[in-house]
Amino acid sequence: MKNYLQINDLNFSYPDGYEALKNINLEINKGDTLGVLGPNGAGKTTFILHLNGILGNLDDSIYINNLSINEDNLKKIREKVGIVFQDPDDQLFMPTVLEDVMFGPKNFGYTNEEAESKAIEALEKVKMKEFLNKPPHHLSFGQKRKVAIASVIAINPELIVLDEPSSNLDPASRRELIEILKNLDVTIILVTHDLPMALEICDESIILNNGEIKTRDKTYSILTNEETMKENRLELPFGFALHHLED
Amino acid sequence: METTHSHHLQLHNNSKLNLLKPQVKIFTVFAIVLSIAFLSLENYSIILSQTAIVIYLLWLSKLRLSTYLKRLSVDIPFVLFALFLPFLSKGNNEVLFKIFNLNVYKTGVLEMTNILIKITLCVTLAIVLTATTSNIEIIYGLQKLKISPLLIAIFSFAIRYIDVFIDEVKRVRIAMKSRGYIEKGFKGLKPLAFASGALLIRGYERGERVYNSMISRGFNGTIELKNRSYEKSNFLYILSLLAFSNLIIDRFYL
Repeated sequence: MKNYLQINDLNFSYPDGYEALKNINLEINKGDTLGVLGPNGAGKTTFILHLNGILGNLDDSIYINNLSINEDNLKKIREKVGIVFQDPDDQLFMPTVLEDVMFGPKNFGYTNEEAESKAIEALEKVKMKEFLNKPPHHLSFGQKRKVAIASVIAINPELIVLDEPSSNLDPASRRELIEILKNLDVTIILVTHDLPMALEICDESIILNNGEIKTRDKTYSILTNEETMKENRLELPFGFALHHLED
Repeated sequence: METTHSHHLQLHNNSKLNLLKPQVKIFTVFAIVLSIAFLSLENYSIILSQTAIVIYLLWLSKLRLSTYLKRLSVDIPFVLFALFLPFLSKGNNEVLFKIFNLNVYKTGVLEMTNILIKITLCVTLAIVLTATTSNIEIIYGLQKLKISPLLIAIFSFAIRYIDVFIDEVKRVRIAMKSRGYIEKGFKGLKPLAFASGALLIRGYERGERVYNSMISRGFNGTIELKNRSYEKSNFLYILSLLAFSNLIIDRFYL
């Protein structure tokens, strides 16, 4: 198996019978950046919660670097796959920024000193080092988002999955976030409604709708295909022009 | 939306107590509270000695009298309860005097004094602890005292999410008011009840999301705070010892 992430016939239904994911098949190579686009309620968040075994049947339908996501491999998988959740308030819960960013490394067996240096390194990457002794709940939304990203990159994951990272951010914070993501040397799966951001970060994208992958193509090709965009309730922001951008 | 900062009990007043190890402060407060709770209150010198220890700590905390008295108001329910005791607790029926035809019993008066003195001293200690120790430090202190990691995790979450929850309540109230809701009268309670229900569900769902994000970062049941540096606090041990000696003298020698 040469792909870094391989998903074979992934299906998932919630206890009430709602089929959230249907026959998902997907492969990604190491270092790829993949956008996951789609309307509200398409199953995007459900999908990413499968990528480190939080949801799902753990039935060997997903492989990360040849390692199947099952009960025995969960710890290794979670060290390889970091998820940045949609609401940073869900992610940050420790008394200080530094302790929050150290939380992951410590869980994965690093000593206090190692965890602290990893945390500081991660905070430097997101330009939040001067806030390390602040309580996370006293930060602005954009700052919280950056700390949430630091709390994941401190684990040194090979694959980072971000769920709507640009939602609720002001334009400057959004720009900073894009620059941070562009400078990360990891495989990225970006779930977003922010299509210009997907275009900037992701070479390829998939459209998830009604729990199914409707299409997979270059992000540019998807965004310029009016029919696909309309079918999947996608729309570029008003005034946003693609014609001057090269494929 | 940026979160608001809810009011915290700790005061930034650079007292000597602020710089001491939180675990020793918690231990000392616990030890002194115990030594006060078990006093017989029959020996005035012992009561005075215990009171002196508490006043010394209060003085060290540099707490302003007005702030102290305001916070002391938390013991009002106990005081109200205690004020009824002289009329209700008959003991051996020894009546001290009468007010408006109501008997004031000696046992009741003793019990009232007992409760008032003990509750005031214990609440004072709690005020001193919370005014000189931040929420985080209290959790850190409990961790150093080897309290169960599960309890520490629960305390940390409670403290962490008080702000988030207060913000949610504020948002819901603003949204209600902006649609013409007036917080008045019996009719106003119904929407408030629905809003509380919604907040409860939201809290539950948030709890689940927080847990997901924690296991995603390898959470295995323990939350450990990093080490912090504090000044030595040996004199607090001496105070604890003194308070306990008072208790032993009170109970066994006088």
